[in-house]
Amino acid sequence: MNQFKFAASHKAVTYGMMGLGVLCLLITFLIDDELHTRFWSNYLHNTVFFTGVAFISLFIMSAFITAWAGWYVTMKRVWEAYALFLIPGLALMLVLIIGLWGGFHHLYHWADAEAVATDKILQHKSAFLNKGWYTFGTLIIMGVWIFFAMKLRQLSLDEDQYGTTEYKYHHKMRIWAAAFLPLGGFTSAALVWQWVMSVDAHWYSTLYAWYTGASWFVSAMALTILTVIFLKFMGYLEAITEEHLHDMGKYLFAFSIFWTYLWFSQYMLIWYANVGEETVYFQTRQREYPVLFYGNLIINFLVPFFVLMRNDTKRKYGTLVFVSAVVLIGHWLDFFQMIKPGVLHTAHEVMAHGHDHAHGEEAHHAFMMGFHFPGLLEIGTMIGFLGLFIYFVFSRLEKASFEPKNDPYLAESLQHHV
Amino acid sequence: MSAVVSPIRDPLIEGGKTYGQITEDICSPTERVPSLAWTVAFIIAVLGLGLYVFTVVWTIFYGIGSWNLNRTIGWGWDITNFVWWIGIGHAGTLISAILLLFRQKWRTGVNRAAEAMTIFAVVCAGQFPLIHMGRLWLGFFIFPYPNTRGPLWVNFNSPLLWDVFAISTYFTVSLLFWYTGLVPDFATLRDRSKGIRRKLYNTVSFGWTGAAKHWQRFESLSLVLAGLSTPLVLSVHTIVSFDFATSVIPGWHTTIFPPYFVAGAIFSGFAMVLTLMLITRKVLKLEQYITLAHIESMNKVILVTGTIVGVAYLTELFIAWYSGYLYEQYAFYNRVLGPYWWSYVGMMACNVLSPQIFWVKKFRRSITITFVMSIFVNIGMWFERFVIIATTLARDYIPSSWSYYTPTWVEIGIFIGTLGLFFTLYLIFTRVAPVVAVAEVKSILKTAGDQYVGPNAKHQHETETAKTASH
Repeated sequence: MNQFKFAASHKAVTYGMMGLGVLCLLITFLIDDELHTRFWSNYLHNTVFFTGVAFISLFIMSAFITAWAGWYVTMKRVWEAYALFLIPGLALMLVLIIGLWGGFHHLYHWADAEAVATDKILQHKSAFLNKGWYTFGTLIIMGVWIFFAMKLRQLSLDEDQYGTTEYKYHHKMRIWAAAFLPLGGFTSAALVWQWVMSVDAHWYSTLYAWYTGASWFVSAMALTILTVIFLKFMGYLEAITEEHLHDMGKYLFAFSIFWTYLWFSQYMLIWYANVGEETVYFQTRQREYPVLFYGNLIINFLVPFFVLMRNDTKRKYGTLVFVSAVVLIGHWLDFFQMIKPGVLHTAHEVMAHGHDHAHGEEAHHAFMMGFHFPGLLEIGTMIGFLGLFIYFVFSRLEKASFEPKNDPYLAESLQHHV
Repeated sequence: MSAVVSPIRDPLIEGGKTYGQITEDICSPTERVPSLAWTVAFIIAVLGLGLYVFTVVWTIFYGIGSWNLNRTIGWGWDITNFVWWIGIGHAGTLISAILLLFRQKWRTGVNRAAEAMTIFAVVCAGQFPLIHMGRLWLGFFIFPYPNTRGPLWVNFNSPLLWDVFAISTYFTVSLLFWYTGLVPDFATLRDRSKGIRRKLYNTVSFGWTGAAKHWQRFESLSLVLAGLSTPLVLSVHTIVSFDFATSVIPGWHTTIFPPYFVAGAIFSGFAMVLTLMLITRKVLKLEQYITLAHIESMNKVILVTGTIVGVAYLTELFIAWYSGYLYEQYAFYNRVLGPYWWSYVGMMACNVLSPQIFWVKKFRRSITITFVMSIFVNIGMWFERFVIIATTLARDYIPSSWSYYTPTWVEIGIFIGTLGLFFTLYLIFTRVAPVVAVAEVKSILKTAGDQYVGPNAKHQHETETAKTASH
């Protein structure tokens, strides 16, 4: 079966997931503190996570086209659909932007005019960390990404319809894909600094954008494996065999190690040099968020490393699904621990403002559900966003055949053998 | 390896070669009397090697004072050259291990020479940590071993010691990998020769007979070594970057250093591979094995890694400003606009701007432009290390100790001398071993020979006609 049909029952499940997400966000909002810190940080966390998955899918696809990869084209529709999630991603980001201008949230220390007035570092950074850059940077850069995602998708669909053995559409795709690589590389760094790194507004690390990129890459690959296996169970994607899954498993394995390498590079250099301005980032996480800090490494390194090391585990549904699910949650947790400590700190400062006790020690150390560890509400919210992602992706999948029949590499992909 | 090949892929072996012709074309250069070009090149290289020996002896005899280092600038050309060479020594392993994992068939045309180059570059790099100690006879101090000097041990907390382990591991594995690939090819040479030459090649090929069991062991060993080398490609330059990044010196201490050094190393390694291969293919008439398709692919790697390095340069500049940390900001201001501005400009122009011409297909497939560019990148990557090392050290926290550094003739002589050492080894290599991996090229003939794929492929046309007929 090459034509996907989004079954009504599956649609209902995604509606249910989205409903749960909305419900959880609503409950979070109601039981939250006066600034709605938990609500907004959950929203930011999931938006950034799933938008990033969409972005990196576009990036992977562009890299594969540029590198003349042949094996993956029988599943390229999945990544095309993932990349299009950038459109709802932008809509989700707009809510954060509106919140920023309306002063509805206090996610960012630098957005607080009173705090900036007394803070020399933030004043210095205000040329980059300001509402204007945040808004227009997001709109323009994500606009460009969406343009590329739609362009590649359109060329790919046109190829299906009008493609000949001159492969005109494929040659055009090569140009657009190659152009996207440097563009995506530069611009994603700028957005990650704004969206995530600036949550800890004083802190900085040159590696940060590459680190988040690797985290997104593993998440996207894990989600792809899960989607592909699900679609196979539904009887679609017969052309994808264990050979293709083996390759995806290798990517998951290799990039889990690469992520660990970047994690280690960042952590080790900061730890070794022991410069206070930098170590504070990891010190907070190690002391106040130990479960997340060490759990991050266990889930995202040890599990994929030991499970996927063998040849056969990359070829079996069971182990692949297990590892993919684990690292997908793992990298979602990774973003959780990137965002929550900074947001919580900012919230404490804002709430303590005007009170005598600037920021009480006990406020820092007391365990807070939803900050030191994700609670049921966070899990529900994640399921909601995932539901939206699946709903959107499956609706796109319905619009095109799985088999890119005029792709120059189709025969290679169909015959793929490792 | 899939037998089905997309119609848009370029052939990688031209001239409709048979297996016999491949053997003949690649093996025969080692059996002929060396050409005039080779002889002249070899004489020049050996003169360079002589200069190397002379300047090193001079350094040892008169001491490190014969260099222009001073209290502020403790590392100059020595460590610049060390990092430059070790970076060049990255392409071989990348090509043999990582491109193998990515199933890039074009690696077979260049992997042998690239691996050889890697080993020779690491040999050159390995000289500098020893020479820069000044007292060469105490070189064994770098190894941790039970000693009679009481508590005087190497510092296990120092990245300089990690370097010793990383580089010697890398060297060992690269050498084994290279040699493993050579074994069947040495046997081919043996089968074509007589007398003492036959005896020698029989010894170095370990009596290889090409039995199925031999090939099976060969394949498993290659796979194990590829698995070992892949992390090594990353680890060596990561640890070299730690030499700088673990410090608290502004301009050195930055977290992007490890992956950015690795990208830069691959960048410079490919540039050196191109420099060597463009000459080798011409001199040994291997244009049909190292085709324009190979050159184009390597130029793409140059473009990608050059741009990654560019992203890193700009990230560093931006974060230096963003940090709001005065010393960090000044370090980068000094790099760009300080007394060494010319080296920063050289670095940016050669590494980031000039490779951008490879966006144009015509330039990627032009031999002249590729050759000039490969030299540019070699120069640019040398400048990069000089920028990182000398300009950063020249102006540190205390303005009263600021200094400026120009090398003495001894330091320049040692650098030129290592080029002599490198080319001497490479030229010997082209005489004693096939510069293209014969067995590996043969393995892709049926899927990349131009009689099988591409516009002149008669077989493919036949099958296509057969397909249309059956419809």
